Amino acid sequence: MLGHLAKFLVIIFKNVRRNLVRSTLTSLGTMVLVLVVTSVWSVLSFIDAQTSEKANDFKVLVTEKNKAPSRLPYAYSSSLREGAARNPGDVRPTDYMTWAFYGGTLDPTKMTRENFIFLIAGEAEKVPTMMDELDQLGPADKERLMAAVEKMKRQRNGCVIGPTQLKTMNKRVGDRIKISGLIFKGIDLEFEIVDTFPDAAQRYAQTSIMNIEYLLAALDEYKVKNKKPHPQGAAPIAFVVLRVNNRQEFERLAEQITASPLYTSPAVRCESQASAISSFLEAYKDIFWGMRWLLAPAVLVTLSLVIANAISISVRERRMEIAVLKVLGFRPGHVMMLVLGEALLIGAASGVFSAGAAYLLINKGAGGIPFPIAWFQRFFIPDQAPLWGLAVGAGTAFVGCIIPAWSARSVRVADVFSKIA
Amino acid sequence: MLEFLKLVNAHWRDVLYVLLAGSLVFMALLAAIGKVPVSYNVRNLVVRWKTTIMTALAFTSVVALMTVMMAFVNGLYSLTENSGQPGNVVVLSSGSNDEGFSNLAFDDVRNVERMPGIISDSEGDRMVSKEIFVVGNQQIPVAPGEKPRRRFVQIRGIENPQIAGKVHGLKLQPGGQWFSEAGVEQGQGDAGQNLIQAVMGNGLAAEMGRDLGTSPLAVGDTFSLADRTWKVTGLLDSGGSTFDSEIWAKRQITGEYFGKPASYSSLIVRAADDVAATALAETVKGAKETALNALTEKEYYSNMAETSRTFLYAIVIVALIMGVGGVFGVMNTMFAAISQRSKDIGVLRILGYQRGQILISFLLESLVLALAGGLLGCLLGLVADGWTARSIISGGGGGKFVVLKLVVSREILATGLLLSLFMGALGGFIPAVSAMRLRALESLR
Repeated sequence: MLGHLAKFLVIIFKNVRRNLVRSTLTSLGTMVLVLVVTSVWSVLSFIDAQTSEKANDFKVLVTEKNKAPSRLPYAYSSSLREGAARNPGDVRPTDYMTWAFYGGTLDPTKMTRENFIFLIAGEAEKVPTMMDELDQLGPADKERLMAAVEKMKRQRNGCVIGPTQLKTMNKRVGDRIKISGLIFKGIDLEFEIVDTFPDAAQRYAQTSIMNIEYLLAALDEYKVKNKKPHPQGAAPIAFVVLRVNNRQEFERLAEQITASPLYTSPAVRCESQASAISSFLEAYKDIFWGMRWLLAPAVLVTLSLVIANAISISVRERRMEIAVLKVLGFRPGHVMMLVLGEALLIGAASGVFSAGAAYLLINKGAGGIPFPIAWFQRFFIPDQAPLWGLAVGAGTAFVGCIIPAWSARSVRVADVFSKIA
Repeated sequence: MLEFLKLVNAHWRDVLYVLLAGSLVFMALLAAIGKVPVSYNVRNLVVRWKTTIMTALAFTSVVALMTVMMAFVNGLYSLTENSGQPGNVVVLSSGSNDEGFSNLAFDDVRNVERMPGIISDSEGDRMVSKEIFVVGNQQIPVAPGEKPRRRFVQIRGIENPQIAGKVHGLKLQPGGQWFSEAGVEQGQGDAGQNLIQAVMGNGLAAEMGRDLGTSPLAVGDTFSLADRTWKVTGLLDSGGSTFDSEIWAKRQITGEYFGKPASYSSLIVRAADDVAATALAETVKGAKETALNALTEKEYYSNMAETSRTFLYAIVIVALIMGVGGVFGVMNTMFAAISQRSKDIGVLRILGYQRGQILISFLLESLVLALAGGLLGCLLGLVADGWTARSIISGGGGGKFVVLKLVVSREILATGLLLSLFMGALGGFIPAVSAMRLRALESLR
């Protein structure tokens, strides 16, 4: 049995090598089209992951109910981190983080993109546990992040800036920067860059974080200096993220918070993080629909056509040879297997190679797919991409060659030799 | 070189048509000057109809897809192009480039209002519209058990709707009326509150109607937003502009309700023309007593086209990569055609056809295939004309949620055809060269 299989494989390999130009062209066509599908699916799978509810380790967002962008008083944060629990048995979050946004320019006279920086202000000690994916860093990266957090706690004006953002601003770790506030006008802050995000935290390449206490202290200073509060001082935070164990706890927590008299002016909305992201992406829904149901299928159809064309030409050219094989005792199923095998070999190998190369070149070489949509700047090819390549290459090869393979199976020996005669 | 590129950029439409016309003329010239047996090639395409169809369909899918994607970007561009009025100046707070992040003090607005250069309408009213721009959360009705959904709705708080309509060049559709001076009316709103009167764009009215499973919202209909019931008093004749996705209501009410009671987001003023508008914007920016940002409305919306550019770049890259895939496909077909017809080539050579004529013959065959596939792709892509889609337009930071119409323009169709012909030429050229190089006697063996 194994011997037969090996013989079949040898014939398939030889068939692939017989017309190297055709095999190469089919393979190259497959590679470029698999590259498109892999890139599109990478974007979609990331979005899907962001908008899918998790069964456990549930993150909850508390935002302003009726308005966007959300603005909440800082006082909300202290009671929200307790989940507005009033009675024994009420759900209390297992973790929390307050989020505010501070943005500004390095040079108010030259407001270019290179000079603009946007920082997430939060409790420094919550960064490693409450910011997505940072809790999954390896030990060395985690240790480095913890060290940066400790610095930010000791030194309130410390900040961590993503490597791409650093490069854009032409700054290095250890540099001091002065930012003129644009989101909080009149709040100009001086920072020391204490570290950058590790390479493994790819999605934070353009993200910057600061200690929220520094921002709050600056707002207090503004009030003393100007004898009136900052216009945004009453509601400086954007939202509070809470963590609960599961969906049931989330539902009880949401009820506690929305029913609480503490949060009436402004009223708050309590929703799962996935639901909040999904709502924000509602405006992009048609674009994602188009990518999922028009772009990717059209590429797959094109790929199938390219392969179908190549294989059907091969079958047509080899009718005589197929007839000889049949005379030599090959059954129709064997002939079909040979044709299918050739297509699957080209498709699968090209698919895996293309997706693998995309993984390396896009993630390591290009630093992700630059497709700024919503607050996502770059998308990365996931680890399972080579498997997608295998599936797409083999799947489209199978679909493309099933009819030519069937026609090869049905070649009549008498018909072929009668034409020659 | 740079000057040449600038020139091409400035006249890209003309360049596109010239390229397409040139390609078609080139094909005709090849057939005429080369005196090639085109009928022989066409008959071969018909005889090998299965391969022909499969190869043409590869062109079709690439071109159709590119047409739909480009129509989307074109819709985005149309929105930003149609939203700015000539002569209008948008005044924002210093450092702001987006209404959503702008806060103008009442005093600042008063100073600008009095500036010379602002024109008046036929009734003597100064063409000044003081506005706030806020975004509200609207719960979208979903079936029981479905994940909750909400959308962001843009609300423009207007002080004087008649003037605002004139400044923005917008009218109400027949049967509608602007909201009243009070901005509210008695009715059965949520928690027994009065109804908030509002006018809205058709795009948003259609979206909201779709959520309820009905036709677009019409005058007299109500909807819920931010725990209040709103009544539609009119529909804006705003098709093709960003205002099509907005709700307009009384500034004092929306400001109070959405946390902007004591400031404006923007001040829109009308100057005599674009030149005067640019000068007025400079005057506003340079005013010593205020720190404001001002730009012409055309410029403001043009800055919003960054999203369109992002999508355009992405589409160009995807189309090019798909085009490369298509080129490999057509190369395969043409190489196979040549190897199947090597004897024919030998006969043609013996009949006196020159090598160049053989090359032209096979190149033309590939181009005809590409043209047929491309035309079919354009026809398929045309189906998308008028489809509606949602998106965000943004100039970096902030942005506007918009409902847009896909626009399949002649330029897009021409680009699709050109792409198809380019793929055909590239994919057909190398095989055609190999056909040309075949020796007559060897090919007949």
